[in-house]
Amino acid sequence: MVGTRDADLVPELIRAWGPRISRDRRSLSVCVARAGSARTVANLRDNGRLAVTCALPLDSHAIQFWGRCLGTGPANRQDLSAVQTHRDAFARSNGSIGVPRPFIEALWQRELAGSPAMIRIRFVAEQIFNQTPGPDAGSAL
Amino acid sequence: MSKPALTVPLDSIASCFEGVAPSSICSCSRDGLPNVTFLSIVHRLDEAHVGLSFQFFNKTRKNTRENPHAQVIVVQPGTANQYRLDLQYQHTETEGPIFERMNTRLMAIASQTGMTNVFKLRGVDVYEVVECRPVSVDGGFELAGRRESIRELESFTERLAACEDLDTLLGTALEALADLFGHRHSFVMFPDEEGTRLYTGASHGFETSGVGSEVVIGEGMLGISAARHSVVRVTNLALETVVARAVRSAVERHGDAAMLEKEIALPGLPDARSQLVLPLLFRNRLLGVLCLQSAESGRFLDTDERVMQIVARHLAASIATTMRSDSAQHKVATLQPDEGTMGASRVVIKHYKSDDSIFIDDAYLTKGIPGRLFWKLLQAFVGSGRAAFTNKEIRLDASLGLPDIKDNLETRLILLRRRLSERCEFIKLTPAGRGHLSLEVRRPLTLDELP
Repeated sequence: MVGTRDADLVPELIRAWGPRISRDRRSLSVCVARAGSARTVANLRDNGRLAVTCALPLDSHAIQFWGRCLGTGPANRQDLSAVQTHRDAFARSNGSIGVPRPFIEALWQRELAGSPAMIRIRFVAEQIFNQTPGPDAGSAL
Repeated sequence: MSKPALTVPLDSIASCFEGVAPSSICSCSRDGLPNVTFLSIVHRLDEAHVGLSFQFFNKTRKNTRENPHAQVIVVQPGTANQYRLDLQYQHTETEGPIFERMNTRLMAIASQTGMTNVFKLRGVDVYEVVECRPVSVDGGFELAGRRESIRELESFTERLAACEDLDTLLGTALEALADLFGHRHSFVMFPDEEGTRLYTGASHGFETSGVGSEVVIGEGMLGISAARHSVVRVTNLALETVVARAVRSAVERHGDAAMLEKEIALPGLPDARSQLVLPLLFRNRLLGVLCLQSAESGRFLDTDERVMQIVARHLAASIATTMRSDSAQHKVATLQPDEGTMGASRVVIKHYKSDDSIFIDDAYLTKGIPGRLFWKLLQAFVGSGRAAFTNKEIRLDASLGLPDIKDNLETRLILLRRRLSERCEFIKLTPAGRGHLSLEVRRPLTLDELP
């Protein structure tokens, strides 16, 4: 999930797919469906602040990045490949706790209604936190 | 001036607020740093408010005290539609009905997963919903047709009205829950005489009946429901278990393993994902609990809970009436031992006085009050050939040294009858008219009383 905020500090959330680490390991990227991402993209252009939280459905292990957006743009072939890999893994992981694959497929297909396009968000992580539920949630990594 | 209506009314997406699929929340500090975390459930409080329970002081709470704006995304089970809710923090509740409802649910899950010292509800943050809109362009909504259950309820009460004894009443009720409402897996548990445990008296739809299995009142979802006289409803046990185990691992890594208790195995379906536990209350007295289970997540939603509350209240009243009616009967008949025992091989029945456990040819049958009752009946049968008894004479029999069991006698006899029917082919205890019991024995018995 990607969280941003506008100039009035009003937050906006969107589901993200296909996290990647850049070749030089200095930045990361995720993709979001263009449909439904207008406010997110506008917020990033306005102030660049974002939070990205990733979790494994199987065991709730989660981390959060706080960072700054380096740019947004159309997803390329590698980005889309990472999206597909992530979706498959997400469906498998959910399947092991009883969530049927068609439900997960519907989740991403619904996001693409209106436009099949994906937007890449490239960002630099400034702080990383443990977000796994429990006494250590929120502690810096 | 009234506030503008939400683009998507919350009651049109009520299933998003049942904890079937996890949600996420984004808040923002006064310094402008967004923060994103996951939520196992967003509670819909009314048409314009949601509640978020919290157990730990966290970044989201700190942020919303500094900057009241927040946004959650909820997911609708079934359609997978996502909805954004723009929220404004209003206040925190640490007591009252909303807090108590969420506290019961959390306590039940905490107890079931051995986390009572870890999961503590500190409060419920109440947010006003400023706007609710679909994430995707086709993610509209349809006002869900309100499913009326009047006909089913009428049939249910009609079927129960025809039942003359408790055994029939329970069997009929559980079968009707399957026939009329599609709740195919159900059981009823009764409190024991000391009020410390619940034992299963009747079940429907399971491979093994589980009759006689016990839970401690105050422990686990069933025990918490009984202790707090409250409904406990869980819509995604798999998700709750995953989160609880993640917290458990974190607590262990933190060096606080001493805070953890054992997970309690859930009776009933091995793969239960939804569970609804309803206390059976009559005049504010706990007569038992009714438990419904399903292997499907999201099977019991808010509307199901409301309908089943009516069912549970009617069932409780029917149980109370039937128990009184059974107690009022008084007639003793005496029969001779079945001649069919002649020629059959002898069986040894052992009674251990220390806990009133009964073993038939070294196979365990039951213990406690049902064991003591059974031993008394067998002694009468072997000693004088009596094979017919009344509930009333058992209740009044001082030699049994029974505690003040009153209404519990019938439920104990049902348990004994069902245990016999499952575990012993040659002894039957059958109802013989209202308040009467008949003992049928098809093999010669040797009774062996042990310390």
